Amino acid sequence: MKLWWIQPLARAVVAVALPLSVPALITILIWALPGNPAEIICPPSLCTGGEELAARWHLNEGPMAFYFHWVSNAMSLDFGQSWRVLTGKPVQELMVQTIPNTLLLIGLALIPVTLGSVMGAFQKPAKVWDPLLVSLGVLPVVALALLAAAVVELNFAGASEDGLGYWSRMIAAALTLGIADGALSGSILGNRSIFEQENQQRYVGISILRGESNFSNTLPNLAGAIVGQYRTRVVQLLSAAVIVEVIVQVDGFGALLFKGTLKQDFGVVLAAATIFALISSSLLMLQAVVEVFQNLHMRRAPVLGLDDVGGDL
Amino acid sequence: MTKRKMYIAMAVICFSLLMVMAWSAPELPSSIDRTQRSLKPWAFPPLGTDMNGRPLIEYATQGARIIALPSLLAGVLVAIFGMMGGLLRCVDWPITQTVVQFLGEIVGALPRMVVILVIALLLPMDWRSLTPLAVVWAVLSAPGAIDEAGAVASRLGGTRFVEALKAHGFSAWRIYMHHIVTLNLRPVLVRQGAEAMMTVAFLEVALSYLAVVQDQSSFTHSDNLKSWADLLKEGYLWLAIPGMDGSAHVLFVGIAMLGLVVLTATALSKAAEAR
Repeated sequence: MKLWWIQPLARAVVAVALPLSVPALITILIWALPGNPAEIICPPSLCTGGEELAARWHLNEGPMAFYFHWVSNAMSLDFGQSWRVLTGKPVQELMVQTIPNTLLLIGLALIPVTLGSVMGAFQKPAKVWDPLLVSLGVLPVVALALLAAAVVELNFAGASEDGLGYWSRMIAAALTLGIADGALSGSILGNRSIFEQENQQRYVGISILRGESNFSNTLPNLAGAIVGQYRTRVVQLLSAAVIVEVIVQVDGFGALLFKGTLKQDFGVVLAAATIFALISSSLLMLQAVVEVFQNLHMRRAPVLGLDDVGGDL
Repeated sequence: MTKRKMYIAMAVICFSLLMVMAWSAPELPSSIDRTQRSLKPWAFPPLGTDMNGRPLIEYATQGARIIALPSLLAGVLVAIFGMMGGLLRCVDWPITQTVVQFLGEIVGALPRMVVILVIALLLPMDWRSLTPLAVVWAVLSAPGAIDEAGAVASRLGGTRFVEALKAHGFSAWRIYMHHIVTLNLRPVLVRQGAEAMMTVAFLEVALSYLAVVQDQSSFTHSDNLKSWADLLKEGYLWLAIPGMDGSAHVLFVGIAMLGLVVLTATALSKAAEAR
């Protein structure tokens, strides 16, 4: 494939555009919905001071002014103040307080997912376990999170702010995230499937005849696909973290987003959505970079032409 | 009876049960009757009562009513997106394919729950129901369905497959709708649609649970309807706080409702698998 660079380039462009396009889409939506933008952002039944609100957010100057003011402030890390979650508190402070917990939670949840991916790469466990893995995959996050919350509540109620209570809460939440909604089973079955397909390629058979291991030959070829799967899992974990953090009562970024939505705090929600998009776009950029290196590596391989090796590039 | 027929029968029964439950749901829940509180199913058939003496069958049917049509709509939409993605690989439209892939990258990179919450926040109060959220969920699930159906169509031969069948004298409708969609894409489309149905049902339960534990109105239904999340909340009280109101059978009914959705989705997927 001569135009190998198109896909990584498209990913890189999307990665750059995503954090800017999320607030843009929200802006379009606000103006596309019927009614006054200020009243959509904060309905009069919940908020007072609509005119002041509209002026502060440049809502009365049209969508472009609103968007560019918000983006330029966000680039200087000024996300404004919370209206209703913690009235008057800068959103940035709320984020600094909650983001570390969410990153730790995602990091812990990635442990079972990563172990599952490694097992899958080595064709483990045997296919006889597939029905169990498939059953595990349909467990909804809300049900598992309730179980995790109950276990933590029964054992560490009232002592869960720090120390053992805090860690047991985090580990219970991370296990929930790492297992529910097919996170673990998907990583095992997904990786096992792509390595199984790749192991059937002719170049792998040749490498085995040469006395090389098949893993060292397939891994460079599959690096992009593996990173892509991993990215999808992390985005899925970020989504599910919203539910888990609220139910297991982890003071995280997802819980902040949900509180903001429930209390109609547009300042918090817009900032949180943009940060989530930023995390996702970083992962997308990482995938693009890995794909570029993978393709450069494959093109440097001296032995066979790309069409001869049968690899899916 | 072959396995396939068994799955078809199971899918029809489970799906019909969900629809009948949704159709038979009362407009309003019964009033509180503490004299009938926490009765077991054998004391108050068919499902017993909650801690306020309300029949659990009302929760089950009203919960089914909340999810039935929106989740079905989401499933159908995802299947249609998948079908379009599969067919796109069978026609020689490279620019359209590139545009779809580019849009798919953007949509696929968005954390779904974040988008759902933003939409829930921005929707006017009187528009709030599960349907718009289900439609958005279907759009967010579309890139996965398009990719998978596209991969199946590519393995089939894509444009070469169409050319070969044209050479045999088949009409375009027969090639695209019968040979490609019905015979080859069907397993993927039905599985993707069934999964979307299931995840929309879980989404409703999750969003309603998160709202109900904070004593707020749900984004997905009006206050006069009870979601399956209410069953889970009461069941959780029994599980986590010994001595509090709530009983085991309420949790069991809640989990059984989620199980019914899983069973429906699994049976639909298995029933549509290639022979």
